[in-house]
Amino acid sequence: MLVLEAVSYRYAGAERPAIRQVSLTLDKGEVLGVVGPSEAGKTTLCLVASGLAPRAIRGAMDGRVLLDGADTTALPMHEMAARAGICFQHPQTQLSGICGTVFEEIAFGPMNLGLQRDDVVVRTWDALDVLGITALAERDPMQLSGGQMQLVAIGGLLALRPAHLILDEPTAQLDPGGTRLVGECLARLAAGGASILITEQKTDLLERICGRVVVLEKGGIVAAGPTDEVLAAAGLAAMGVAAPSRVRVRRALAGAGFGDGAIMDALH
Amino acid sequence: MIELRLEGLVHVYRDSTVRAVDGVDLQVGPGQRVAIVGQNGSGKTTLVRHLNGLLRPTEGRVLVDGSDAARLHVAQLARRVGLVFQDPDRQIFARSVRAEVEFGARNVGMDRADRNDAVSQALAATGLEGESDTNPYDLGDSRRKLLALASVLAMRTPVLVLDEPTTGQDVRGVEIVGSVIRAAHAEGRTVIAISHDMGFVAETFDRVVIMREGRIVLDGSPAGVFAQRAWSTLEETYLEPPFPSRVGARLGLDSTPTDEALIARLRERASDSVPST
Amino acid sequence: MVGPITLLATAVVLPAAAAGVLRRLLRTSMVLSLPIGISALLVNLFFFPGGSEVLLRLGPVTATREGLELALQVLARILAISGAITLFYLTTRPAELVVDLERRGVSPRLAFVANASVQTVPAMVDRASAIIAAQRARGLDTEGSIAQRARGLVPIVGPVIMGSIAEVEQRTMALEARGFTRPGRRTLLWHPADSGAERVARWLLVLTVPALLVARSAGWLDLLG
Ligand SMILES: Nc1ncnc2c1ncn2[C@@H]1O[C@H](COP(=O)(O)OP(=O)(O)OP(=O)(O)O)[C@@H](O)[C@H]1O
Ligand SMILES: Nc1ncnc2c1ncn2[C@@H]1O[C@H](COP(=O)(O)OP(=O)(O)OP(=O)(O)O)[C@@H](O)[C@H]1O
Ligand SMILES: [Mg+2]
Ligand SMILES: [Mg+2]
Repeated sequence: MLVLEAVSYRYAGAERPAIRQVSLTLDKGEVLGVVGPSEAGKTTLCLVASGLAPRAIRGAMDGRVLLDGADTTALPMHEMAARAGICFQHPQTQLSGICGTVFEEIAFGPMNLGLQRDDVVVRTWDALDVLGITALAERDPMQLSGGQMQLVAIGGLLALRPAHLILDEPTAQLDPGGTRLVGECLARLAAGGASILITEQKTDLLERICGRVVVLEKGGIVAAGPTDEVLAAAGLAAMGVAAPSRVRVRRALAGAGFGDGAIMDALH
Repeated sequence: MIELRLEGLVHVYRDSTVRAVDGVDLQVGPGQRVAIVGQNGSGKTTLVRHLNGLLRPTEGRVLVDGSDAARLHVAQLARRVGLVFQDPDRQIFARSVRAEVEFGARNVGMDRADRNDAVSQALAATGLEGESDTNPYDLGDSRRKLLALASVLAMRTPVLVLDEPTTGQDVRGVEIVGSVIRAAHAEGRTVIAISHDMGFVAETFDRVVIMREGRIVLDGSPAGVFAQRAWSTLEETYLEPPFPSRVGARLGLDSTPTDEALIARLRERASDSVPST
Repeated sequence: MVGPITLLATAVVLPAAAAGVLRRLLRTSMVLSLPIGISALLVNLFFFPGGSEVLLRLGPVTATREGLELALQVLARILAISGAITLFYLTTRPAELVVDLERRGVSPRLAFVANASVQTVPAMVDRASAIIAAQRARGLDTEGSIAQRARGLVPIVGPVIMGSIAEVEQRTMALEARGFTRPGRRTLLWHPADSGAERVARWLLVLTVPALLVARSAGWLDLLG
């Protein structure tokens, strides 16, 4: 369980805090979606939740972040990595830069944890397998397409098998098939007891996998609740967040006078 | 007005055995709006980087306005084909937003007045007019991407090539990209864009080219490539039809890739079934 | 002068040719040693004190034969050093370096620092070429004359340094996020190949150093200069 208690974070040198008074709870087995317009503070929220801010990024934090009841500022960073892993918005920066092949790159996290060699190998093949990238195992991670690199970054997180996963726009550069695959994989992990925090602009994906969604605007939470309710709210687009396709088409059809039952059923 | 033509294009990266582009023939006429879609790693980025000479063909030819791009410097091609990179971090280098946007405009030899005009227009079109003096490193990821777009817009090239312009953008960002494309089209410029957002593609482009493993597997209008007979091909290539197409299919309608098309077909059907007297 | 040139030929050029990286080696080590090489050449050529055989007079400075000899010797040494370093960069995979250092008991973090310094040059080259590509794509002509190429280099120095600093920060963060700072041993998946021939060659090299030192102090190498 991951709990944020009235967390504010101001980057060193910034005038205003990037997130303000954010409180949320991520339960075991839950997928929580975070949506919001550009620069709303989604990335900052992920960095704070993973303990990287303020540890690896300079800035001032107020409030508390609790991981299974323990204050994260008291946990060493490598322990955080093993328990609350993060996947960055920008896949290039996630890669270690010292691994010659995709396989080693994905194995990098488990290797750092000092796990048994066989265990590392199994975890790595598993991650390659669920993401459909076994064919890339021997490739140089720095010479991949944008989307392939993003999959490798996600693979590196999956191989750590943390109890909490924090993903910052993990599917931004993925094709529709890859997006679906990542969604299914996260849903499966949550069913197995993992807690997942995910930010996305693709609300279609969140609609499929999240139980709850929070809306972030200008650093503060402005709406929170069950996914269907939050993503169907009338003011969502005005806040800069795209409604899921289903909601959008339903509105368009109803507006054009095609709101009857048979047509509405076709939306599901 | 410029025509682009690829003939038997093959690209193999140095030290690699993968045929990133594996025999592509493609012709794009002046003023067309073309979307390139396809699985991750299918060669889209590799393909478009040939259009302004950043990559040179391993085999085959690239013809820009009839002349072989291999004989032209990248700088000469840059006056005709503006390319916005997939990763803004590999494109942005200047110390202020304005300097970044001015860089290309200066190189293509606009006079001062034109240049100022082009820069202000590009900044306004991307919603960055208030950020002239900001250091690009201080912009968030999504606005850095818009800055990369602005820096190419300001060159006013007859051909505009955008590599995944909408990734990571919120609703407003996607609207900005859409209106930039529409405005360029209205001015008669050619626009080629890569995207994974099938809804956006169907709404914004007249022609969709679908790639798989370095080759073109489908090429046609949105209504054509997203029609039901093409679905199995789409699925094989990790794509999916836009949501309105799927709704249309369930209602027994084909070729409804956009909300508008779906509503139009429903109206047609309604008026067919109620014969006017 | 013959000394460094012999060394350059046997210890750098021949192995590079054997490894198939001669062209890249020449290009990279030229770029690396050009600035320091030129300044060393000029300083030694014109400011060598008390040379007797005057070759050239340029206002207040004169170039002497002795100065020229010394200048060429210094240049040859610089080339030998930069060539050897470049050869190491070009033939050592960073991943292998890290794994091998760790296998020999060096702490992962120290191994990482060693590796990071090995990678600084290629990383900067990569960043520089990315920026050059971005600038060419926006109409900066860097393909014509040498002057034009040089003009293209000026505006990238700042961004390359800025970018490298930003990258170090981000890289550190990525490593922390993936548990790299955990104390204790990491799992190693493989051992770099280390053939018997390589091991013998390594020991021979180590033995060559004292041998050369002895030879030199005994004066056997004087005729090589
Ligand atoms: N390293 C930093 N230093 C200073 N300010 C920053 C830094 N990173 C982000 N900010 C600022 O914090 C605010 C929130 O940014 P953040 O990146 O968290 O937003 P976001 O919702 O992730 O946006 P995007 O959709 O663009 O990814 C922005 O105003 C941004 O400019
Ligand atoms: N610099 C490189 N060196 C070697 N191979 C590369 C390089 N860049 C890309 N590739 C490979 O070439 C193929 C095509 O890559 P490309 O970047 O063109 O794909 P893409 O269609 O743009 O994918 P994405 O949707 O993920 O951006 C892939 O197999 C990729 O791994
Ligand atoms: Mg973000
Ligand atoms: Mg691409």
